[in-house]
Amino acid sequence: MKRYVLRRVLLAVPTLFLVSVMVFALMRFMPGDVATRMVEGHAYAPTLAALRHDLGLDRPVHTQYLDWIGGIVLRGDFGHSYWTRQPILDEFGRRFPVTLELALLTILVSVVLGVVIGIVSAARQDSAADYLGRVLAILALSVPYFGLAVLVVVLPSIYFKWTPVWTYVAFTVDPLENLKIMLVPALVFGVTRAGPVMRIMRSALLDVLRQDYIRTAWSKGLAERPIILRHALKNAMIPVISLIGLQMPLYIGGSVIIESIFRLPGVGLFFFEALTRLDYPVVQSVNLIIAAMVVGLNLLIDLSYAFLDPRIRY
Amino acid sequence: MRPSWTRAFGMRRLALAPEAAGGAAALSLPARVGPRARPWWLDVWVRMLTGKPLGAVGGAIVLVMLAAAVLADWIAPYGFAQTSLRERFIVASAAHWLGTDELGRDLLTRLIYGARISLYVGFGAIAIGSVLATAIGVVSGYLGGRFDLLVQRGVDAWMAFPPLLLLLSIMSLLGPSVWNITVVLGIAFGIQNSRVVRGVALLVKEHSFVESARALGAGHLRTTLTHILPNVVPTIIVVATTGLSTVILTEASLSFLGLGVPPPYPTWGGMLSLAGLDHMYRAPWLAIWPAVALSLAVFGFNMLGDALRDLLDPRLKGG
Repeated sequence: MKRYVLRRVLLAVPTLFLVSVMVFALMRFMPGDVATRMVEGHAYAPTLAALRHDLGLDRPVHTQYLDWIGGIVLRGDFGHSYWTRQPILDEFGRRFPVTLELALLTILVSVVLGVVIGIVSAARQDSAADYLGRVLAILALSVPYFGLAVLVVVLPSIYFKWTPVWTYVAFTVDPLENLKIMLVPALVFGVTRAGPVMRIMRSALLDVLRQDYIRTAWSKGLAERPIILRHALKNAMIPVISLIGLQMPLYIGGSVIIESIFRLPGVGLFFFEALTRLDYPVVQSVNLIIAAMVVGLNLLIDLSYAFLDPRIRY
Repeated sequence: MRPSWTRAFGMRRLALAPEAAGGAAALSLPARVGPRARPWWLDVWVRMLTGKPLGAVGGAIVLVMLAAAVLADWIAPYGFAQTSLRERFIVASAAHWLGTDELGRDLLTRLIYGARISLYVGFGAIAIGSVLATAIGVVSGYLGGRFDLLVQRGVDAWMAFPPLLLLLSIMSLLGPSVWNITVVLGIAFGIQNSRVVRGVALLVKEHSFVESARALGAGHLRTTLTHILPNVVPTIIVVATTGLSTVILTEASLSFLGLGVPPPYPTWGGMLSLAGLDHMYRAPWLAIWPAVALSLAVFGFNMLGDALRDLLDPRLKGG
């Protein structure tokens, strides 16, 4: 187990190195110049050359890269935003809880919906409930979450005079108010993500229910509820968990859109604003931090299999 | 077509008296051709119609979309950028079935042209992506060793990014354009799916017919082209059909954020976009119809892709 974790962590190092090179190269070798944009907007410096020098853009590319990556590895310094001059890590730390809360609530919604409907669908295969569940899952798969989000923002405000709450309140300040704000975005995002969860849950449970140990459980007279919930569900959850792990990047990517529709001050919005302003260091560092999180999360998910299925050992 | 024809002809001739198998018998043949004599590409559709109703519905939606895209210039009632300030924000009328937007542009026209853009980007990206996935996957899988290790770490790095963040980064730097988004989505699709192709190539490589070909003196190029590639093609078809809806949806979400297809062209994602949110409070149909069109398209491609996968994937056969 220890050796496995160590090996995975060591394997992550070259991956993250490549990620950093890729995102850095992307920012530098493509058209679009932040200095011109900054001088156009406001006088950040007397001349273009002075601003370039100030931002360190006049140095050779490899020095710039080493400076950036060196700061991260040696001092844990992820650099400063070009526009606000604020340390990126501080801003990320302030905004991350919002995105994390959104992701967790979204997963909660999609798992609760997907797993419950999936269990009912599998336990009553080919019944009316099963067909209803499957149709709902296909619908959820087809409706794009940003389309649904726009409709949820627009339609109720016209017909019911109801609008989502626009001013964000942190969970630590007022938990109830915060949940009221997060509920709608999480529901919208979660419902559209419940489709794949339900389909995987259904097919995995159907698979498990046909296995010998389930027949044994039936024949020793166990009731349906404990058979499904205690014996079958745990094994059938493995594909569901790996699906959620695979979809984690999707939740983070989707947060860009959800946060900009519902005006939540999360990482997604931070990233998108930096992107439109060509704020290289922010885009680079946020991409790198999130890639590191995705890699770490995949490891955690792989380790969770051992907990769910004792036959799996590392 | 040829092989099944001759096979059917042969079977028929056995059943008949030898001298009766002349021109007349050959003429009446097509009506009597049994299910097994159908060419495989036709057989797939027939089996879909009879056994996969949802797939057939999906196929019908895709056909309608294709027709709209191809015939847009003839069936669209107006020009897609044709404004008419006197007819702004019409809900629905005889002249504008689905209403008009803030510039008096006809919504139905824009939806029809939007289908063209969606399909153009979708098919273009899938074509580029399939070629790329095949090239990376087959070469990496076939060569193996250090080359494979290196390439796969690159693929790892690419997959560690949340796809939307990476695509947004690239598109914001390249600038929105139909060509850019097609190529970028194609590359993303290609790299992601090269894993799948590589997996199949690794399996095929171990078969003894590959070893025999090598022993007979076939070079690496010939071995990959004539022995590995044909065995990878079914996988690519499956990956491509199921990937279409994802690509179309991704294009829509990039256009939604203003980084996909630039404004003069109508796209479903762009029509829903944040930029137009203020107008939607006044005219909700501006949000409803593009959302419906997009959902229908994704539904159609999903169902068609699922059904095609069931029918084409050799691993799922007989299930």
